Amino acid sequence: MTRALSLKTIALGLALTGGSTAALSTVALADGQDFVTIEKGQYLATAGDCISCHTAPGGKPFAGGRGIMTPFGVIYTPNITPDRETGIGAWTADQFVASMQHGVGKDGELLYPAFPYPFYTKVKRDDLVAIKAYLDTLDPVRSEAKPNGLPFPLNIRTALMGWNMLFFTPGEFKPDPAKSEEFNRGAYLVEGLAHCGACHTPKNMLGGDKSDKVLAGGVLDEWTAPNLGGDLRTGLGGWSTADIVEYLKTGRNAKSAASGPMAEVVYYSTQHMTDADLKAMAVYLKERAPSPAVPAPKPVPAEDPVMKAGLAVYQDNCSACHVSNGQGIARLFPDLKGSAVVQADEVETLVRIVVQGTRAAATKTAPTGPGMPAFDWKLNDVQTAALLTYIRNAWGNAAAPVTADQVKSIRGRLTDTAATP
Amino acid sequence: MAGLPNDPLISRRTLLASTAAAALVGATFGSARGVKARMLSGEVPWAPGMATPPEPLVPNGWLYFTPEESRAVEAIVERLIPGDDLGPSGKDAGCAVFIDRQMAGPYGGAERLYMRPPFVNNASPLFGPQSQLTPAQQYRVALKALDAYCKANHGGKGFANLPGEDRDKVLAAMEKGEPNFEGFGSRPFFNLVLQNTMEGFFADPIYGGNRDMAGWKLIGFPGARYDYRDFIDTVTEPYTLPPVSLMGRAGWTPGR
Repeated sequence: MTRALSLKTIALGLALTGGSTAALSTVALADGQDFVTIEKGQYLATAGDCISCHTAPGGKPFAGGRGIMTPFGVIYTPNITPDRETGIGAWTADQFVASMQHGVGKDGELLYPAFPYPFYTKVKRDDLVAIKAYLDTLDPVRSEAKPNGLPFPLNIRTALMGWNMLFFTPGEFKPDPAKSEEFNRGAYLVEGLAHCGACHTPKNMLGGDKSDKVLAGGVLDEWTAPNLGGDLRTGLGGWSTADIVEYLKTGRNAKSAASGPMAEVVYYSTQHMTDADLKAMAVYLKERAPSPAVPAPKPVPAEDPVMKAGLAVYQDNCSACHVSNGQGIARLFPDLKGSAVVQADEVETLVRIVVQGTRAAATKTAPTGPGMPAFDWKLNDVQTAALLTYIRNAWGNAAAPVTADQVKSIRGRLTDTAATP
Repeated sequence: MAGLPNDPLISRRTLLASTAAAALVGATFGSARGVKARMLSGEVPWAPGMATPPEPLVPNGWLYFTPEESRAVEAIVERLIPGDDLGPSGKDAGCAVFIDRQMAGPYGGAERLYMRPPFVNNASPLFGPQSQLTPAQQYRVALKALDAYCKANHGGKGFANLPGEDRDKVLAAMEKGEPNFEGFGSRPFFNLVLQNTMEGFFADPIYGGNRDMAGWKLIGFPGARYDYRDFIDTVTEPYTLPPVSLMGRAGWTPGR
């Protein structure tokens, strides 16, 4: 980024001092790069949130080394700074495009789909070349890739040929001529660079997307990525396009706040995107599929002893912030009434947040990251389950009760200690 | 200036010097428990699972008092707060256990007090405690003196073995400072025990006293709850939610 900025400064300086455009373009061409492309590449790399996975906790940006937890083992991200030996400095633009669109490395080796090439395959070649041009302006960092923690036979990359045959459909994005330009721009971003489905589309046993459940909500690293469909109870049905834009731009809206992995996405990526692109994504998400009426379960009755205990826990621990009516305080404490995460079938996020606490993303426009404290020191599994059953079935909410065994099992799997940005 | 001690050893200068020294010690080493102020900029630090939970009492006998001392303290708190139809006695509410843990902890060791000379007898209360003894030492010395006093005046019986009426008489005398206790005055000791007994009766149950929130139920204190927005417009009506301890209440568990 520093080099991109300094290039910008040089370009500006030349322009201001009346330096001839010819001289400028000679400089740029000699470098194999031009400023407009680099700036576009920087924006697209931000939209793709490359930095989030390709930076180790406390490490140099883009130098890789972050462990991505997959159900099959840990996979460490590679260095994508332009270091020629340990990064991608020696890669040609074509090699880079092939990795993004086809999941193959510089020497043709197959890449693990923890790298979301099944999404990046939709990105236009021009855009990918721009991203490479931007990455080439970064300071090269020497950092060897860490060996992955994958068991046999998954450590043999040729096993991925079968995976690609089953779950990978290569090909650039094809706009739908029947839809607006805005819708298509949103679709291009959501399905491509933003790779929303990497978390929000449920995965099958082999880690492939369930193609009939695109963006229907998934679980990743003991976080629930909610349904982005139109369902009123568990999806985005209750959110307007303005709500979605505000959430992606500021990390919160009147209903919710981004925390966990989504806080990272907002912090590193979406808060830096243009309002037009955010609106396009929102329009696409709202128009993508008509609201399917998912039948709501019958709420657990208020006189159930578990609900009564949950109410008692809620009154004593939660209502000071989330208010006794569950509606919280807009843009500060999330609204639990009508919340998709609260009513989702998967309760990983709920258990995690009660046990460990969480913090909302702190963004340029909303620089305070309100935090929720951990409650594991005072609530046992039975009490936590009662509380979650209560918030899932109070105030008009309806969702399956949570059991103490579920809480115990999820609590036991919480290993991630990375802090929200 | 009427309250200033008349001791020629304490000039204004030494007073200032010792205050400065205390400030220096405080700034250099922080408090004995290691809690220091920190400068924060940007966001408030947060990490998953971060909490500073209180340390609930572990019921494992007496940590500071000897068996004899514990009997005496129980006998005192039982008379300071007698049990009746409304609630348990100070003893049954766990006040003696509370005081035992208090004395075993930083309060008993006077860890937050400046405990160096000069100590001035008969200083105005404005100058704070003037004893060289920590609260724990005060209990040790005064309980021994109390026992000696009772044995001398009540037929060889220690305080704990006196009938309730006699114990009240002894306590009433101590309140007036009548018995002459060797080492630590009977009146300051009475005040100390009374203060600690009230603390035990009304502190959170996790510290050993206020068993089953008995003290809070008596005065209608709701405990560690911090949202009253639903009740603020109905302050003339009774508040019906039961009190809650820092570690919860029975109602948090289904079926209880």
